[in-house]
Amino acid sequence: MLDLIFQVAILLFLSGAAIAFLGAARDSRTARTLSLVCSAGASALLAIFAFVILVTGSPLSLAAWQPFPGISIAFFIDRLAAFFLVLIGAVAACVAVYSTGYVEHMEGGSRRNLLCGCTAIFVLAMALVVASATTISFLFFWELMAAASFMLVMYEYTHAGTTRAGIFYFVMTQLSTLFVMLGIIMLFVATGSFAIAPVHLTPASAPLVTAAFLALFVGFSIKAGIIPFHKWLPYAHPASPSPVSALMSGVMLKVAVYGLLRFLMAVFTPDLWWGVLILIAGTASAVLGVIYAIKEDDIKGLLAYSSIENIGIIFVGIGLFVIFSCTGFVLLATISLLAALFHSLNHALFKSLLFLTAGSVVHATHTRDIEQMGGLAARMPVTSALFFVGAAAIAALPPLNGFASELLVYTAFFESVTVADPFTKILLFICLALFALTSALSAACFVKAFGSIFLARPRSPESEQAHEVGPAMLAGPAILAAACVVLGVFSYQVLAGFGYHFPIPDLLLVSVLLLLMGALTYVILWFTASHKERTGETWGCGARSLPSSTEYTGHGFSEPIVTIFSSVYQTKKTVTKKYYDEHDCIFAEGTAEIRLLKFFEEYLYLPIARGATRAAGVIARMQNGCLDTYLLYVFVAVVAVILFLGVAA
Amino acid sequence: MNYEFLAYGIINTACVVLVAPLFVSLVKKVKAWTQGRQGPSVFQTYYTLAKLLKKEVIYSRNASWITRVTPWACIASILVASLFVPLVYVTAPAGGIGNIILFLYLLVLGRFFMALAGLDAGSTFGGMGSSREMSIAAVIEPTTIIVFAALAFVFKSLNIIDMAGMAASSGTVVAPTLILLGISLFIILIVETAHIPVDNPETHLELTMIHEGMILEQSGRNLALMELSAAIKQVVLMALLINLIVPWGIATTLAPAAIGAALALFVAKGAILALVIGLFESSMAKMRFFRLPGLFMMAFFFSTLIILIEVFT
Repeated sequence: MLDLIFQVAILLFLSGAAIAFLGAARDSRTARTLSLVCSAGASALLAIFAFVILVTGSPLSLAAWQPFPGISIAFFIDRLAAFFLVLIGAVAACVAVYSTGYVEHMEGGSRRNLLCGCTAIFVLAMALVVASATTISFLFFWELMAAASFMLVMYEYTHAGTTRAGIFYFVMTQLSTLFVMLGIIMLFVATGSFAIAPVHLTPASAPLVTAAFLALFVGFSIKAGIIPFHKWLPYAHPASPSPVSALMSGVMLKVAVYGLLRFLMAVFTPDLWWGVLILIAGTASAVLGVIYAIKEDDIKGLLAYSSIENIGIIFVGIGLFVIFSCTGFVLLATISLLAALFHSLNHALFKSLLFLTAGSVVHATHTRDIEQMGGLAARMPVTSALFFVGAAAIAALPPLNGFASELLVYTAFFESVTVADPFTKILLFICLALFALTSALSAACFVKAFGSIFLARPRSPESEQAHEVGPAMLAGPAILAAACVVLGVFSYQVLAGFGYHFPIPDLLLVSVLLLLMGALTYVILWFTASHKERTGETWGCGARSLPSSTEYTGHGFSEPIVTIFSSVYQTKKTVTKKYYDEHDCIFAEGTAEIRLLKFFEEYLYLPIARGATRAAGVIARMQNGCLDTYLLYVFVAVVAVILFLGVAA
Repeated sequence: MNYEFLAYGIINTACVVLVAPLFVSLVKKVKAWTQGRQGPSVFQTYYTLAKLLKKEVIYSRNASWITRVTPWACIASILVASLFVPLVYVTAPAGGIGNIILFLYLLVLGRFFMALAGLDAGSTFGGMGSSREMSIAAVIEPTTIIVFAALAFVFKSLNIIDMAGMAASSGTVVAPTLILLGISLFIILIVETAHIPVDNPETHLELTMIHEGMILEQSGRNLALMELSAAIKQVVLMALLINLIVPWGIATTLAPAAIGAALALFVAKGAILALVIGLFESSMAKMRFFRLPGLFMMAFFFSTLIILIEVFT
């Protein structure tokens, strides 16, 4: 029965893609809507199917196709995979609902059909990566996911910047596949099988297995956007359409998290230093991600950097899990693992919510620059309320879901005083302090985002004329927002329902108390305070009315933090001067430029890229188009083969 | 949730709301004395709140629902947070009330709304206040969390009510690390409640202001709620410091006499703390904004030192 549902879901995705592609020639709106409905239905089906497995806990195994002995495409869905399938299904369904409204407002004619079709394939690929039972099928669908997402990023290929973003994304995502493939091949050499199964360590295979872990870690980190492999996110997200950003940031990053978790739990027996490595990588990403996010003026760029931060938080959870399981603290390890998983789900929910509502805002104002927005709370009330829920959840305000998962991380940190090794303890305390900094900065970041976009007065004519979006574009985010509230308020009950009783506060009680206190105050003031209300001008130091240009901008808002953390945002100053005289005394003209130094890009990515170009140049010299040279190559190759065979024999 | 905890909730909330305005006036009185002035009455804050309640509320033309919701969100979050810190009576906690992390984030909840309301009216002062408030909150956060972690470490509990209970039952034994922690808690108190050298609570319309800038557009009943929540925040943080470091006299039974005595003693201890805050404020000038991270770094290393001492002994 259950496997039938799974197959139906896959078929629905495929038919969704087929319908969209078939309608492409006629730019058919019906085909688009039908395709998105198929995707939404298939995603919802997938989520329900996975939820059943999550609740019952009995794994499902499906053999699909075995082209050669030892190499097979097969599926195996246990609770871990089911959890991520629920995440993928739930978010993808909401995104599909939103897209039914969004695609009709997009430019691009029949390309929109391709967008719908590729989205279906993309979601399917992500689901099948998670469901894979062998490393081969994992790799196959991983690459399908990469290819489909690349097509989606390139949607607006005529826009300036999209090509660059696309190429950046393509290179990074292929690097990720390369490292994952390398890791899988090393595992195959060590074990002789493509199964995702525990590796039996022998002294001979130990270095190879460690190398395999490192390769997989780098591969998954690139896909997840861990600093320093993060650079593709702030390029790819602003360039791609909003539903695609929501899927990539909300779901695809989590597939990388799933990969890391699956290999850590099912294949390797981790060492303590692996945990320390993951923890440090996570902490660095969290802190730097949010510090970069706060500086952004591009709403989608800001959300992209914030994804880096949240993936960092998830990695902190995974790192703690590895550390605690290596030191034998089972309860703490469980708390950390659940923190990582719960935050993955929560981030998927609120980040896709934020990307979708940001998409509505961009659609209404025709700009991504938050300095041009403002005053949208009055013009788009529902969207503003939905965005607010997302912002409050991501800023970890109780009683929403972002707080619930960060609470688990904090609990794991605070309880870690029992860890024996003092130096591990010091490391944990440093990471705890940085984690707290991250959380506070992300609150500041989303005050800036919400304040600049929705509050005060519009700062551009487009924002002045913005109006609320249609029902489909509100329904999708509304489901996500409701999920954010429910998962936060009932977090204790949900965890207890799955059998995890942790010493964490009951947020339902806190929500009831919050409402009670508010209501109590309201009732008391109803009887004691004046009811008179009046509307007036904002006080402007005596001026009758101030223009909107005098408002505090997002840039101004983040200025103190930028100044405090100025060592992180390094700037580059270039000054050129020309003088009339030869002693450089009488100044004629000159230019001065100050810009933000893209540290990782200029000191890590570009040198590597230049090295690759240089190596390619050397190799290209061998291709001179002259027949004699090629004959020489053939001759040398034949001699080399003969020599090699002779030596081998 | 049992009967005793319910009684705890009611007594605690009532006491917090009753005494909170008193300490605000007390600090002002001390500052007035050091300046050679008479100063307003110690009940002035009560009069001010009563007056504000009778005034009409004026909303800016630009203000959205955020401005209307903020006073209620602030007062609700701070009242719930006040449940987490016992003032005069301590009992066994229930339902996770008292969790130190949740306490911290309830304060963040109020601050989040307040900062948004600062931006809402489109006034430059409000935006400036919000921006500075969020920046300071971000920079002090690592210190706060380390101090809280150190508290959890010393008391072996994550629950403030548990900690207070333990401090009350152990009576006179005050560990040296607790005194050090007291100093860190004092710095957090100064920062969180907008006192000199971080913020100047007395100035309106000066470029130095932070908290007052954010609530500049509030008026009438809403302003009263904001002022009251600021006062409650101050008394709650004071109670945290007092009842963990010098817990003598806190009631552990529901006897009215014990609770009355505990309240009197708390007011006395709070008055001494208010005196210290007032003298501390009078003894220094407001710091330049960008010098503040240095101060916080000092507090941070100070509290890390405590952790190091605790870990290695």
